[in-house]
Amino acid sequence: MRAARKKPQETGFAPLIQFEMDMATFLSDWQHCDQLSTFMARMISHNRMDPIRHSNFFSFALNELLEVSFRGGSPEGRLDCTVYRHDLKERVRLSFRCPPGQQEFYREAIAKTHQEDALGRYLSAISMDQTPNREVILLDLAINFDADLHLEEHAPSDITFVADLPLERALS
Amino acid sequence: MNAIVFSAPFTAEFDANNQEFSLAGVIRPHSVDEIAASISMLKSAIADVRGVLHINLRRLVQMNNTAFQAISRVVLDACRARPDLRFVVVTSSVVGWTERMFTHLNRIEPRVTVEVYDSKFYPGQSFVEDTSFIPILRTQTKMTWRHERTILPRHGMRPGIVMADICCGIGDFAILVKKEFQPTRIVALDHSKASLDYARDMAARFGIADVEYTYGDASEMLLEDNQFDLVTCRHSLQIFNRPTALLKELYRICKPGGRVYITNEKNSHCLGEPRSQSIQWTYDEVAKLFSHFEMDVEFGPKSRRHLVDAGFDDILVESFMVTNLDGDPQDFADVIAAWEQVYAGEMAVKRGDPPEFIERFRQGFRDHIFAALHPKGYAGWPIWAASGRKPL
Ligand SMILES: C[S@@+](CC[C@H](N)C(=O)[O-])C[C@H]1O[C@@H](n2cnc3c(N)ncnc32)[C@H](O)[C@@H]1O
Repeated sequence: MRAARKKPQETGFAPLIQFEMDMATFLSDWQHCDQLSTFMARMISHNRMDPIRHSNFFSFALNELLEVSFRGGSPEGRLDCTVYRHDLKERVRLSFRCPPGQQEFYREAIAKTHQEDALGRYLSAISMDQTPNREVILLDLAINFDADLHLEEHAPSDITFVADLPLERALS
Repeated sequence: MNAIVFSAPFTAEFDANNQEFSLAGVIRPHSVDEIAASISMLKSAIADVRGVLHINLRRLVQMNNTAFQAISRVVLDACRARPDLRFVVVTSSVVGWTERMFTHLNRIEPRVTVEVYDSKFYPGQSFVEDTSFIPILRTQTKMTWRHERTILPRHGMRPGIVMADICCGIGDFAILVKKEFQPTRIVALDHSKASLDYARDMAARFGIADVEYTYGDASEMLLEDNQFDLVTCRHSLQIFNRPTALLKELYRICKPGGRVYITNEKNSHCLGEPRSQSIQWTYDEVAKLFSHFEMDVEFGPKSRRHLVDAGFDDILVESFMVTNLDGDPQDFADVIAAWEQVYAGEMAVKRGDPPEFIERFRQGFRDHIFAALHPKGYAGWPIWAASGRKPL
């Protein structure tokens, strides 16, 4: 649990791109997740070592985060997504409005990604469950994309994910 | 073969003859219901096959966890219900996450295995992806560029275009094109990591930052359809054992109205004077040696037929001869020395040729060098440059 609460390192990350959208608009079409993640991935990957593959990897990860906010968000306020870069890492900061009481759920789900039994949990979920829940998606990002996930808590009905993705390293 | 095509660019297919279920494109459903047709196709495929079912994900570009878990569910349930059945999930090294994700299924059910198809997928791969091929590529492009820079504009090269150089090798052609013709975008793809590393280093050294070098299989590319004004593919249809599949991909990524430009050799037509007979013998043997490894270095004059068969129109074919008189004869000699090194020193050895053969084989290259450097000598290497337009 302590690891999960450790604040991500702030220095060195420079913003690359940001978008904002009304949650209500975002939630009006599932395709937004795919379209936004594809577009953002292309925009930020052009100067990576292998832009096309970087974009493919990044799009996977961002799409999953957007899908989590699509499934768990409520149609008020705004969805705010910023991508930062520091050396070989990208950071996604994604904020959205969610029904009250959800923060605790995300806090626990993110803590699980830092626990030693993360892989075991992930394997048992894919061997038993019918459809992925939000917890499995976060485990997938941690296990298969080496994402380092954190939660920032501002207002009680806002969720802010911070995902650090060392994709450049994974690709080389 | 059954195929379902969705509005999103996603297909599911079952090929009963090969016991192969394939998924391709972008699969990001909101719920499992959206892919119910594919899931039931997979289930009936399982009911249909004996022994082993291949799940082909070579062309899977994107998938979300909803789709991953739905497919995993079916496969894992089938393992429990059908102890007679094995699953081989075929992924590519290009989209690395498919391998990482599907390998977990093997931890749960050992009868699901994951194969990375492109770790070994064509017979010439071990030679051309090795660093020893780099000197060949380096010396060759230096010689061919003199000719191609004037030929290329006839085949659709002009400033401001969006282009791709597929099978780019060490990427020197992309850099030369960038400097000479200023395309707005250039993607350069190859499946040799050693060559791409070399390419990136060289681009950095020349201060060229925006060639998009990318690792990929030219016969199964991640690139989208109809994107490029010009697609070049030099000396590579002759190297890959399925040139038709490769050309189909070049066609796919080319814009309607755009052109695909290919260059290829006819090695048995390399020539030199003096010592023409020894030279001739060796290059006849080069062609046979390559065909032993399913590479067709006699491809050049077949370009026209291949372009027609692939659906191009407005086809243009020309040939040029790189010779020892093009510039410094030593440059020509360096190309031949690099060939001798790999063709006689590695490929013939790998084929298991006896030392006497290899010695005679080497002699022809040495004689070609002799002719190139001889004050009255002449040495040539013919190349066919061809292009076709993708109809509007
Ligand atoms: C003879 S070299 C030519 C390289 C470069 N076009 C040049 O002219 O210098 C052939 C190249 O094709 C690449 N190649 C062959 N088959 C390929 C495939 N299926 N996908 C990607 N690259 C491939 C090899 O890695 C090699 O770099």
